[in-house]
Amino acid sequence: MTNTLHRQGTPENLKNDYVIFAHTAKGITREGSAPKLQEFMQICLKYHPVNIGDGKQGNIYQDDINIQTLIANQGDGAGAAAVFTGLDTLQKVVEELIRADLGISINISGLLGEVQACCRRAGIERHSAEHSLGFWGAKDRLPEREVLEFNTLCGHGMVSFNLIRKMIEYVKLRRLTPKKAAKIMAKCCECGVFNPVRAEMLLEKIRKGER
Amino acid sequence: MEIDKKKCVGCGNCHAVCTMGVIYLEEDGKSAINQDECVECYTCYRVCRSEGYPPWFVRALRKVLSLFRLGYLAEVDVCPTGALTPRELEWPRNIRAVFSDPTTVHPGTGVPGRGTDEIKTNDVTGRLREGDAGLVIEMGRPGIGAHFRDIEKVAMALAKLNPHFERENPVTQLMTDPTVGKMKDEILNEKVLSAIIEVKTTLERIPEFLHTLDRIQKEIDTVISLGVASKCLPDGTLPHEEWVKKEGYALSPNGKTNIGLGKPLFRGN
Repeated sequence: MTNTLHRQGTPENLKNDYVIFAHTAKGITREGSAPKLQEFMQICLKYHPVNIGDGKQGNIYQDDINIQTLIANQGDGAGAAAVFTGLDTLQKVVEELIRADLGISINISGLLGEVQACCRRAGIERHSAEHSLGFWGAKDRLPEREVLEFNTLCGHGMVSFNLIRKMIEYVKLRRLTPKKAAKIMAKCCECGVFNPVRAEMLLEKIRKGER
Repeated sequence: MEIDKKKCVGCGNCHAVCTMGVIYLEEDGKSAINQDECVECYTCYRVCRSEGYPPWFVRALRKVLSLFRLGYLAEVDVCPTGALTPRELEWPRNIRAVFSDPTTVHPGTGVPGRGTDEIKTNDVTGRLREGDAGLVIEMGRPGIGAHFRDIEKVAMALAKLNPHFERENPVTQLMTDPTVGKMKDEILNEKVLSAIIEVKTTLERIPEFLHTLDRIQKEIDTVISLGVASKCLPDGTLPHEEWVKKEGYALSPNGKTNIGLGKPLFRGN
């Protein structure tokens, strides 16, 4: 989940893409964090995230993952993440996390202004924030914008350019539905920060020739 | 990663899943991995679950189908015969997995993945305080990968500005001398999916660092995803914004926010 801040997209589709993650600090909040991370995940789960998981055990789109088992097996660890597609839901999650007072660091990736407003409505001020300054270096090696939109939905870049192109092709040929193709891409992203709903919408647009 | 030739039936599913696009079909109709370019991310192994079919069965099926000009089409996220085989990695190749496979916890940082906590735990660690700026230089991402020889070029260029390289960061730990940004010689030809150089400096020095990166970016054969971070002022404004904008660089509308719920909250400055 290192670089969820580099998610590409139009302001319109970024509005439907918020990653909330709990993170613990070694020697400060990591030790004894298992029940807190479990509660974080249970709170997120209550609001029907479109993805949820952690880097150690995987996410709900992977084979043989049962979310309740994953939560139960959550030990003292670096963190966990969930993805929401609406600001209203995110607001409720933030408010419940404030009430739960877990004491572990909570971060949100998404439109910075919207996240700040969400915090203020919940009665808190943001602590620190990070902007992306985009891509530098040999940019001529990068693929087209649509492929980057899918690829950057995974914070570790585990969804390959070639798989994305294959999924687009299969959707266009109706060999896969946008939902199934998005699910396959989500499977590659270990931490569970990939937004399959956004991916599905984008694939749908590509299928209809709108992108 | 290796492909067991006795098992591979050349379906090609792992080719697309490979984050570096370095799995290919050989003349014998079986897949192989370009080991120089493989970053040991294990995505092919994790995503393409083994269906466990005997190779002879799949090959026979394909032959029969081809008689009728039909093809064998496995689900895209499977390896029909379980041919993908992880192997024991030794130094220095094992750093490929440490930087590329997010399920691997780095022994130095205790964090799975390529960086450290950065601002993610800044509310309790106080890593970035008032007046500080954090630069997160992720090399190789998106989707290109980076050799340590390119990572060293950037680290050495930045080192001339006497930055504070984050001590716990995995890249810093591979430097023989952080004052000059020199990496260990034996790792220079190792390739990783991405690696993050983390620098702490002061807000007013942001322009110097950006200008240096601007210069050095032309000398590397990979891409960089660049991030800049700071601790918010009491009214919630981000002090790094004005320093970046003043130099004419564009800031993304989206980003990462630590909402400050960690305890005990870091109070010092």
